[in-house]
Amino acid sequence: MRPKGRYRTPLIIAVALLLVFSVLSLSLKRSPALKQVEGWMISLTAPGLRSLEYVTRGVKNLWSGYFYLVEVKQENATLRQCLEEYKQKDVRFQEAQQALTRLEALLDLKRQVAMPVIGARVIGYDPSLWSRSAMIDQGQAQGVKEGLPVLAPQGVAGRVVEAYPQYSKVMLIVDRKSGADAMIQRTRARGILQGKGGNRCSLEFVPKSAEVQLGDLVLASGLAGLYPKGLVFGRVSGTNKKNPGLFQEIEVTPAVDLSALEEVLVVKVASIAISEP
Amino acid sequence: MIGAFLLFSAMGLGFFYLQNLFFFPHVHLRLLALLLFYVGLRPSLSLALALGLTLGLLQDSYATTPFGLHLGASLVLVAAARFLRRRLLLQRIGSQVLASVVALTLQEVCFHAGAVLLGLQPNISKEMITHQTWEILGTAALGPLMRHLVKGLENFLRRFGWRALSEPPAYHSFS
Repeated sequence: MRPKGRYRTPLIIAVALLLVFSVLSLSLKRSPALKQVEGWMISLTAPGLRSLEYVTRGVKNLWSGYFYLVEVKQENATLRQCLEEYKQKDVRFQEAQQALTRLEALLDLKRQVAMPVIGARVIGYDPSLWSRSAMIDQGQAQGVKEGLPVLAPQGVAGRVVEAYPQYSKVMLIVDRKSGADAMIQRTRARGILQGKGGNRCSLEFVPKSAEVQLGDLVLASGLAGLYPKGLVFGRVSGTNKKNPGLFQEIEVTPAVDLSALEEVLVVKVASIAISEP
Repeated sequence: MIGAFLLFSAMGLGFFYLQNLFFFPHVHLRLLALLLFYVGLRPSLSLALALGLTLGLLQDSYATTPFGLHLGASLVLVAAARFLRRRLLLQRIGSQVLASVVALTLQEVCFHAGAVLLGLQPNISKEMITHQTWEILGTAALGPLMRHLVKGLENFLRRFGWRALSEPPAYHSFS
């Protein structure tokens, strides 16, 4: 083996390890340079994702409202032209009605929150199983900052963990790094709502003496100032008091379908208090 | 090299968009990892490393895990592909699919180990392990398709004179 070739593999391994450790070390120190690299990558790839999301939505609407129904329309050839026009109009109407319902729900929430909010559209997700995050189309230019809570009409979706010039990254409440002070609405028992990955959360540190039932609402307690008090996280979907230790195991299913978010609100002030439901 | 890198990166970005817009949240497949594995089996190491770096950064940018975890996992995948390529002389599709299962599992293990070392809570529930096993097997089953895509892209690049540095040069007669 040539001397040049002999050292090639160890050299590549050393450089790769050095690179990974340096990046991880900078990441743990929250280096601005690394955040800039992340920002560039998002700025480079998110516009494509956003455009494709619009195109996909259009194609999906066209498919579900038109092509899928072509065979039905052929039953009456003389009225086909007329029917197609009405179908297209109906699709547009249904889409507009659905958007109206969603936006009305958001507007209700906006009134309820009574705080400055920013409306945003979800343009993408982290598709891996390792983390649960979403990308929204509002960023620093629109006033989005790290730490701001993100709400959907049904409840809390997550909070902003990175804000880039035009986009922001939202850590969903089911992400394993997500934790928030929460309480059971009925008994006011408090605990920490911890993301468990997938589509699950758990309410940790609730003593076994506290009464918790299936279906109990889990709300934000407002403590620690992460999420507005009284907003819904989800419902209790499982409890276990037979485990060893002082605390019971409580599984919480989020109120929001976190895999199908479309429009969300970013609350500009993190520590707010709203009227309890 | 730059043209090949850009083209393979565009392919990776296309897979990322595809996953994000069509597959998520119902279908979980590691198309980027599979692409990286099959590029890692090809002669050009520099292309595989550059692609691993880019795709790792792309995934890190969209995830909430510490920046660098996906990057490390991508490089593990390239290393696994190179190791398996050299030791097992992968020629057949069946052995490549098996090797991709091994590499994807190794990548998952390394990712979890990295996450634990960085203080993250590992999710090793039975449900998640089953989910990830199916994800890896489903991804590996797409191996033959990915192999053809990678080879097809390479053949396309060769038309424009691209050749991996470790490949022998094209034959030219003396006449």
